[in-house]
Amino acid sequence: MGGKVTCTLGEVKQRADFIVYWGGNPAECHPRHFTKYTIMQKSKFLPRGRKDRTMVLVDIRETKSAKAADIFLQVRPGKDFELITILRAMIKGQAVGDAQIAVAGLTREALEDLVQRMKAAKFGCMFFGMGLSMTRGKHMNSAALLTLAAEMNAFTKFVAMPMRGHGNVTGADVIMRWQTGYPFGITFNRGYPRYNPGEFSTVDVLVRGDCDAAFIIGADPGGTMPQPAIDHLKRIPTIVLDPHVTHTSKLARIHITTAPQGIAAPGTAYRMDEIPMPLKPALKSPYPSDEEVVRRINEAIDKKPFWLPEGSQPQMLTAQV
Amino acid sequence: MLRISGGKIYDPANGIDGAIKDLCIDDHGKFVETVSGGRTIDAAGMIVFPGGVDVHTHVAGGAINFARAMTPEDHRRTHAFIRTKSRRSGLGGMAPTTFATGYLYAGMGWTTVNEAAVPVLSARHTHEELSDIPIVDKSTLTLMGNNEILLDQLEDGEYERARNVVAWYVWAAKSYGIKAVNPGGVAAWKWGHDAKQLNSPIAGYNRLTPGGIIGNLARICDDLGLPHPLHLHCNNLGAPGNIATTLDTLQHLDGRRAHIAHSQYHAYGGDGWDTMSSASKQLADYFNSHPNLTTDAGAVLFGDTVTITADGPWQHLLYKLTGRKWGNLDVENETGCGIVPYTYRPSNLVNAVQWATGLELLLLIRDPFQVFLSTDHPNGGCFWRYPEIIKLLMCADFRKECLAKLPDAIKKKITLPEIDREYTLYEIAAAMSAGPARALGLKNKGSLAVGCDADLVIYEADDNVEKMFGHPRYVIKGGEIVIEDGDIRETPHGREYIAKPSYDPATEEFMRPLFEDRYTMSFENYPVEIERLEHPSIQTCKPAN
Repeated sequence: MGGKVTCTLGEVKQRADFIVYWGGNPAECHPRHFTKYTIMQKSKFLPRGRKDRTMVLVDIRETKSAKAADIFLQVRPGKDFELITILRAMIKGQAVGDAQIAVAGLTREALEDLVQRMKAAKFGCMFFGMGLSMTRGKHMNSAALLTLAAEMNAFTKFVAMPMRGHGNVTGADVIMRWQTGYPFGITFNRGYPRYNPGEFSTVDVLVRGDCDAAFIIGADPGGTMPQPAIDHLKRIPTIVLDPHVTHTSKLARIHITTAPQGIAAPGTAYRMDEIPMPLKPALKSPYPSDEEVVRRINEAIDKKPFWLPEGSQPQMLTAQV
Repeated sequence: MLRISGGKIYDPANGIDGAIKDLCIDDHGKFVETVSGGRTIDAAGMIVFPGGVDVHTHVAGGAINFARAMTPEDHRRTHAFIRTKSRRSGLGGMAPTTFATGYLYAGMGWTTVNEAAVPVLSARHTHEELSDIPIVDKSTLTLMGNNEILLDQLEDGEYERARNVVAWYVWAAKSYGIKAVNPGGVAAWKWGHDAKQLNSPIAGYNRLTPGGIIGNLARICDDLGLPHPLHLHCNNLGAPGNIATTLDTLQHLDGRRAHIAHSQYHAYGGDGWDTMSSASKQLADYFNSHPNLTTDAGAVLFGDTVTITADGPWQHLLYKLTGRKWGNLDVENETGCGIVPYTYRPSNLVNAVQWATGLELLLLIRDPFQVFLSTDHPNGGCFWRYPEIIKLLMCADFRKECLAKLPDAIKKKITLPEIDREYTLYEIAAAMSAGPARALGLKNKGSLAVGCDADLVIYEADDNVEKMFGHPRYVIKGGEIVIEDGDIRETPHGREYIAKPSYDPATEEFMRPLFEDRYTMSFENYPVEIERLEHPSIQTCKPAN
């Protein structure tokens, strides 16, 4: 367990004759996915495009994406982990009982057909969304699906990748990792990066009331977080940078309107497959970019006393506690 | 302005082997004949080397960042840098974070690093990470050995087109040179296959063989006049008996210059894991009789690390052998990468052979301007463990102590016990600095001559070689004292060296439809804008004719 077998979206476009969307609704959440990268694309290896590809949708209910699917598998809510585990057993020819299959809400025929199609594929790709990663089992569901993809490589070429959220969440992940080693849930309160989702994630820090200020850029926790988190944001000095006045702006001490990224402010966004895309603004904005605002705040902070006493120079830690 | 006075100078690029003389540095960070004013460092009793040059390492970009994602358990237990006024926070370990990478390299006296494998599609990412690596100067190599647009030209015998395509790509990536990894094999891996036969057509092609890719790329490198020759990770990495492939590959080069990456992984005899042995003598003999070839050792050190390579099919095998975590990322049209955390154990006979083979190559290849110190970081071991390798090279007794701890069955498989050679300080300076700088074509690096960049390291002489090389007294980069008494004093930004080979302007229009067919981003957005590089320094290309 652990690791991820994946590719950039161009490989899916070129080669993927078998595509699974699991716990996601690309028709509504990633509206250009089918046409730009997956089922609608023609390529050297798949010259007939849609006709050369098979799309399977796995979800707890029929969403708009089901119209585009060749096969729709309605898994019982909260039973994705069980279903993936059954598939991992079936691909290896291990016996799975009827009672176990019934738990997942599907028939043996449907699963045998799926396994046979997976093994017959030249290049299989599984995309998974929050319907998998945010439901019962959470990251264990993601790990299970990634493991299934890795194990399928014993039979044929197979990859999996997450359908990332909106905004530049992938970019934030990529940069945090190169600067701190960790993608999110990071604290610097001892002067070096430490990681513990559940302890240092934003929602946990706010609910516990552990921070005494909040600096929010391009996110709206005041609109999505539990009440204790919102109450804490109201209590402490909260600063918001956003093109819009958000729920969080309304309870913040300060809101600074900034130019919208990619439309009126330049930069780089990282696509869901971690490819960096340059953003070239098409419009001008009367508002400063987030980058300009943060730089000016940094300059003001630099003029204040440093957090360590003057002249102290802590050595590198050879082992963390 | 700076004067280093009374130190014992080791400057192999200029034939200086321990003479005591002064060095003078001007305000522009270059060595000069004399200075007046400024600080004098009293280096009496100390040893002075040009700053280290790492010719093959993986420190910036999509692959290493993927490895960072896969090893949080290592981040949690490893060295941590605390934020100070002059220093950003960071973590060391197998896949160090960017700021820590600069501090760890500089802390050992290394001042230039060559990021050996960059896909053009994520080159922007690599340059952004390099901007966040303080102090050291950098160069990068672009992965071309599995670029399908290129492979198609070679299949069709279109050499001129192929040459223009390569030049276009090197400039689009804003890189310094060309890297080929398992030529044909990584392209075949897109369908789950590999390319293990040098002279068999690659999956999906009728005529083109890995040998054909290698011969053409070596010729293209020379015709474009790139400062560094083709940097080649041969086919069949890691496989028992692969010495045959490696020697066959060298013969394919047909007298052209080339740099063979991490040759330790390509120097095995035997025909299975049980019979695997070191074939370093055969490979060393070839290098000793072919002075236009260089290599970096890719030496192995026992302990935990993470393997990162573009050799996707090999990593799938390593995953199946070990059951450890497996990361894989195929990059459209261009290449791929595979990541598997790994532990080299002295009790594991195969690992023991690997450990011996790396050292044998360093000791049997006579000219330290041909074989360079590297572990293919982090594949063979972490770069901040280089002082351990220096000790193994300089102290035959210590080598024998380490050999005694290996399983008895190793004796028939290696020649290390018979090797008494001990590297001198002069030879270490060549293998860690002057040699790699010359191979990279970086004329101002690896040398303490007037006009060169004032990158140097000053050690306190110590019988404990590992301690001496692990804890320099001073490290100077571009004339600035960056490390003094173990403290990071300054963290200037380094330069990025890039090459600008010429290509026919019509190449752009030729590439556009092929690009739009294979890739999923717009052609205009693909080349990296020069403004994204921190302090770019464009190196001239002198075509061979």
